[in-house]
Amino acid sequence: MDSILRAAGMYIALMLLFRIAGRRSLADLTTFDFVLLLIIGEATQQALLGDDFSFTNAMLVIATLIVLDVGLSLAKLNSKPLARLLDGRATLVVEHGRFLHHRMRRARLAEDDILESARDSQGVEKIEQIKFAIVERNGKISIIPAE
Amino acid sequence: MSALEEMAMANDELVSRSLPVQEHMAMQQRVWRFERVGWYLLVVIVLLGLAGLFGNGPLSNAQTTSADGRLHVEYQRLSRSGTTDNLRITVRGSARKPIMLELDGSLLSKASIETIQPEPQASLSQGKAILLELGTSDDGVATLYLTLRSEYVGTLEGVVRAGPSSAVHFSTFLFP
Repeated sequence: MDSILRAAGMYIALMLLFRIAGRRSLADLTTFDFVLLLIIGEATQQALLGDDFSFTNAMLVIATLIVLDVGLSLAKLNSKPLARLLDGRATLVVEHGRFLHHRMRRARLAEDDILESARDSQGVEKIEQIKFAIVERNGKISIIPAE
Repeated sequence: MSALEEMAMANDELVSRSLPVQEHMAMQQRVWRFERVGWYLLVVIVLLGLAGLFGNGPLSNAQTTSADGRLHVEYQRLSRSGTTDNLRITVRGSARKPIMLELDGSLLSKASIETIQPEPQASLSQGKAILLELGTSDDGVATLYLTLRSEYVGTLEGVVRAGPSSAVHFSTFLFP
């Protein structure tokens, strides 16, 4: 019984923590981010399983996590406000070749991050060639080049 | 750029765009504020953790002495479920005479004693309590080191008695 509560508690706690970390935090995985993610996983695993290493316990924990995750995505399908609250919305950070600095600061984005994305996805060289840059809900930066 | 212009630009950025995506800047600002406030909250939690709010620090180290001063207990006021905690009990008696020490309270029923050092000369139960007979040295002081472990979450009460007049009550809160 307590392993189910533990898994549910961990799911909610992790969701809150990653919400605080923001959507950009682990969007473009650097090697260091990857290692960090592994350590987070390791720290979580101990608390999830406790000292019960049985097959049943592992299955219970996994089942709880899947039930919560699928349940939440179903709830998001049925309720748009909930989806907005949990996923947020895409936000513009470049508009017609102009950086929106105030927004970028709040989203913890530097000009270089956007230009890097632009080079990577569109082969764009200068900010003037970007029509729109959008921080998507998953933290990726989409670039729409100017015609 | 003047400060006024800068402010005007910042305000312009707060207006929701509808192309190429429908924005909701009021909501987005709440999200950003949540991230910022949450970050400060995490910093506070980490600092409190360093100070020992969750055990093993100045905030959680505690000690208490019985009214007559014979019995002294060092314990953890705050700790976590599933970790081992040290409990140190010091009793003053007369030299070379064994002392009877009584351990009682929910701490004993809910937590398991992992180690007990030095080994008591005798141990027996009395109701729910445990009676331990400790040997003393020339200075008449007996010290008992215990490590306790509990999966319990919540407050556990501990009672230590040495004779009718010396008693110490303490409590430990266990975080999940």
